[in-house]
Amino acid sequence: MTPAIAIRGLTKDFALTLRGVKLRAVDNLTLDVPAGQVFGLLGPNGSGKSTTIKIILGLLEPTAGECTVFGLPSRRVGSRLNVGYLPEAPYFYRYLSGLELVRFYGRICGVSGRRLRERAQEVIEWVGLGSAAHRRVGTYSKGMLQRIGLAQALVHDPRLIILDEPTAGVDPVGSAEISELILKLKKQGKTVLITSHLLAQIEDICDRVAILDRGKLILEGAVNDLVGLQNRQSLIVDSLPPAELQALRDWLAARGHALDAVEQPRTRLDQLFLSKVSRRQRGGESA
Amino acid sequence: MRAAHHAVPFSLARLGIVAGNTFLEAVRQKLFGFLLLLAVALVASAQLFREFNFGSSELKFIADFGLGAMVFFGSTLTIAATAQLFFSEIENRTALTLLAKPVWRTEFIFGKFLGVFTVVGVFCALTTGLLVGLLYQRETALMAASPEAFAQGCLIHYGDLVLIGVLQWLKFGVLAAATLLIASFSNTNLYTVVMGFFVLVICHLQYLARDAYAQVASLPLRLLVQVLGYVFPNFQLFNVADQIGVGAALDPLVFVRVAAYALIYIGVFCGLAVYSFSRREI
Repeated sequence: MTPAIAIRGLTKDFALTLRGVKLRAVDNLTLDVPAGQVFGLLGPNGSGKSTTIKIILGLLEPTAGECTVFGLPSRRVGSRLNVGYLPEAPYFYRYLSGLELVRFYGRICGVSGRRLRERAQEVIEWVGLGSAAHRRVGTYSKGMLQRIGLAQALVHDPRLIILDEPTAGVDPVGSAEISELILKLKKQGKTVLITSHLLAQIEDICDRVAILDRGKLILEGAVNDLVGLQNRQSLIVDSLPPAELQALRDWLAARGHALDAVEQPRTRLDQLFLSKVSRRQRGGESA
Repeated sequence: MRAAHHAVPFSLARLGIVAGNTFLEAVRQKLFGFLLLLAVALVASAQLFREFNFGSSELKFIADFGLGAMVFFGSTLTIAATAQLFFSEIENRTALTLLAKPVWRTEFIFGKFLGVFTVVGVFCALTTGLLVGLLYQRETALMAASPEAFAQGCLIHYGDLVLIGVLQWLKFGVLAAATLLIASFSNTNLYTVVMGFFVLVICHLQYLARDAYAQVASLPLRLLVQVLGYVFPNFQLFNVADQIGVGAALDPLVFVRVAAYALIYIGVFCGLAVYSFSRREI
């Protein structure tokens, strides 16, 4: 099966001075993003994530190597027909309403007529901005901008969606809702490439991750393989009295096993937060 | 809805969508409205100065004053709007989102140009229409007051005035294309605006340099001036308004030649802007 994105020996240098001093932003990167999966591209600031995304989108020419999107070279305009992109810190035409904006990008992607009207309305409702569809984008809050950005990325029903820091600056409720949207996209068979500094979120929603550092790929694989501890299992039981706990230790020891840790299971802070904070009517958010 | 073919040919429809959005942005900017109001006010105020005697006929004065206002504010609007509408896309990173769609950079540049050209066209149409109205009203009043002065008929050729408005629009088109070319490789809005005004001045005055250096003995210098004469369009060619108000008509052949001259420069400048922008890293 053709991967959604195939990157081979990709290198990108930026000229820093006229005398030829260069900065290597991406260094001989080879990577496949399988179709139908949620793929996390991780790394500290300056690790080459955004540069890689720009090359995938044909916005930058690689210095060396190649990149294809569903088998088409990324420098070809046609490769972007099946790609939706939400940029980091999105900023859209402030003078358009949310609906006008989504329709504008839909028309650019070749969607027209009744289908455009229906699809624009559909994706706006889908991202929860139905009640703010006719408001100017200039009045939108940060979270609403991310949502309208997601709507414009989806309006032409692309097979690959690239989300660059979709939760940057978004509160935990908004962040959780974006995670839910991503999982819905995966259920629809879409491929999602996401970069984020929220590693817990990445761990929850991604099938595979790649970690970049100084432009180089340092780790890549399935999330479960990477973060699961080998040869270890955890059992969650009711509270055991000390005597029964000791009996359990003895029982395990008799069979050659050891009870390594006994600890109180914890809920995650984001889950606690989300369980306590009511989800607002997102479309009615103020700027 | 999903595209069956991967080839995305150049599309006039997409170009039109980019142009339409550029026009909408310009119209919703305060600068456009401000300059339009100023130009309209100035054109209209030409009537207020008619009591002064500058040695020209009153109608000619109104025509010259009105066209002068159109040229001044039109040039300012063209340079400022082109730079602003281009850099708002770059600085606000909306170009990133737009060019991540199946959009050719050629469509983006020509769309930007067409949007600005439409804005300037609206400006020219409004100011020309106002000027025609003012001149017609005044000429009618003067004809009623002293019919003997108009024994030969109307002094103003209103059709020619419209053609002159069209030529000014084309000149602004050349200026917009030149500004877009500068913007395509420039890093800042300010640099583009300053360079745009430099180009405007050079284009208006280059005929002086051509005349002065035509007599120079040094062949390289003469060639250099000649080359620069081709690089920078001669805006004096668009000044065909001298006969307005004195009863003379505009030669249609002159109009066609100047219009063709402008369209060639627009095509070349926009083509160079596309080439430059296609190498730009967004």
